[in-house]
Amino acid sequence: MERDAQTSTVAFDRRQVYRPFLERLNPIASHRDLVDRDLIIPRDHDPRDAGQPPIHVAFANSAELNPGTQMALVGGIGSGKTTEMLLTQRILGRHSDAVNIFVDLADHTDLNETNSGAILAMAGMQLYSRLKKADNPSPKAKSAYTKLRELAFGTTQWVPADDQYYDEQRDFVEVEVPGVMKLRFPALRRKVKELKELLVSIASPLLEKGAQITLLIDGLDRLIRAERFREFAEQDLRALRGTKMTIIISAPLLLWYDKSRFLQDYFDLVKHIPAAAAGRQDLSFLRQILERRAALELMDRKEVTTIVKYSGGVLRDLLTLTRSAAEYAYRDDQDSIGRNHVQAAVRQLGNRYLVGLGRTHRTRLRRLAKNDQFPIEDSTARELIVNRQVLEYFDRGREFFVVHPALTKVLPKPA
Amino acid sequence: MIDFSTTTAFGLVRRLAVPSQDSPAVYLLISEAAAIDAVQVDLGAEIQVQLGIELRSLAVSELDPDRLEDAFASARVPAVLLITLDDWTPKLIESLDRNIVLVANSGPVLLLATFELVKRALRAAPNLRNRLTDVLAIRPDEAFSDARA
Repeated sequence: MERDAQTSTVAFDRRQVYRPFLERLNPIASHRDLVDRDLIIPRDHDPRDAGQPPIHVAFANSAELNPGTQMALVGGIGSGKTTEMLLTQRILGRHSDAVNIFVDLADHTDLNETNSGAILAMAGMQLYSRLKKADNPSPKAKSAYTKLRELAFGTTQWVPADDQYYDEQRDFVEVEVPGVMKLRFPALRRKVKELKELLVSIASPLLEKGAQITLLIDGLDRLIRAERFREFAEQDLRALRGTKMTIIISAPLLLWYDKSRFLQDYFDLVKHIPAAAAGRQDLSFLRQILERRAALELMDRKEVTTIVKYSGGVLRDLLTLTRSAAEYAYRDDQDSIGRNHVQAAVRQLGNRYLVGLGRTHRTRLRRLAKNDQFPIEDSTARELIVNRQVLEYFDRGREFFVVHPALTKVLPKPA
Repeated sequence: MIDFSTTTAFGLVRRLAVPSQDSPAVYLLISEAAAIDAVQVDLGAEIQVQLGIELRSLAVSELDPDRLEDAFASARVPAVLLITLDDWTPKLIESLDRNIVLVANSGPVLLLATFELVKRALRAAPNLRNRLTDVLAIRPDEAFSDARA
């Protein structure tokens, strides 16, 4: 049937309607591209407190007023953390002396290995590249950059063959004797200290001219094992304390629920983006996101409302559902998205969340749907939160959990 | 098995052709184990005919989790990358999950696996799950003549 359609003459090229629509709704499109195309709707207040400025404004103000502040942004997958960071960067650009470095750390290094120092190395290289563009870097900065690159990527050295056995010929070897004081944070590793000094040498010419340096680090929120994030914070970020370089970093959601309150204790400012749609204002925000992307050209307000509801307030799911509904409509040779297309998209998203759920998970979800009980300390509960099968909301001072609405739609009844 | 929309190579490539080809897209395709070879062949043929580009096919057993960028870097020539999950390799799945931006920015990527492997992979890879363009059941063309999906 589809093959026949392909060979017949097409009077109205429906692709010309759906293609730009799907482009605007790509849930994994480059965030930078979306900001540049003005497709982003900035929130007008802090998602947890309508009386507070939006996160990107709060972050930008802190970076401008208190250089060297360390800030963390926490939220579930697809909640809009990268967007908030890009909006922060855009605001910070209003001052000519602002040097803003935005990186997804995973683009520069594999976070798989224990590689403390990676943030410092990356920051040093990016700052040097800025310095080089603006000015002729001093010999000191050049030399620091060369050493920093060697530490970052390693180097091949030619040493006399005998030196390889030097350690074995020593009369004394180092032995760590633990002290009585347990350090609040582990000592900085030698390489981290070295990298910090090199980074400061590179940054000095900029800082001496009064530049406002802000490092916006994305990607570390994708570390599922939260202890890996702590390692970066305790080494790289702590090394940056006192350097007047501001840090804004995305952190894994589970740290928000960590009993040790690591995030709150370590960072000067921590912001949390819960799933939206808990209140009337959030619903309007979600609708606006779709309307900015011209959703009303292809669907009625009723369909927009249904999509908003079943997205659970997860921004990426909002786009996924709309895009998926559009694809169903296109495949049905329809000029607009109907209720049946939206329902099919909801089931499809729900099924995606259903995959991999064992009996324990399903029982926990049913219990939550029935009586609101959700012990976050429990490993099953945490897995459900990380996978977004359960969403965290915040409304009028109360934090609560809800099964993702699209998953609720397809969750089988107990046998 | 969970009732995902079912498609064939023809239907899937038609989906890929709607947005522009450099648009990021990551599809997770579920196939019966016995049909995986046939699906791979169908995908190669349809991508060549409908999109005029190559299908780069890799198996996870051939990928080095520590050198993922090599596999994706060479995918930057116009091509659709097909990664078949032919084995349960948690280290690689974790690596794909952490480096999901690298995966998503490599043009269209198709992940092909049996339902059993899909279940394990998605459970271990929340970032990947959230960034999937779609999850579809896929069958060889001859077994599914009315490809509506």
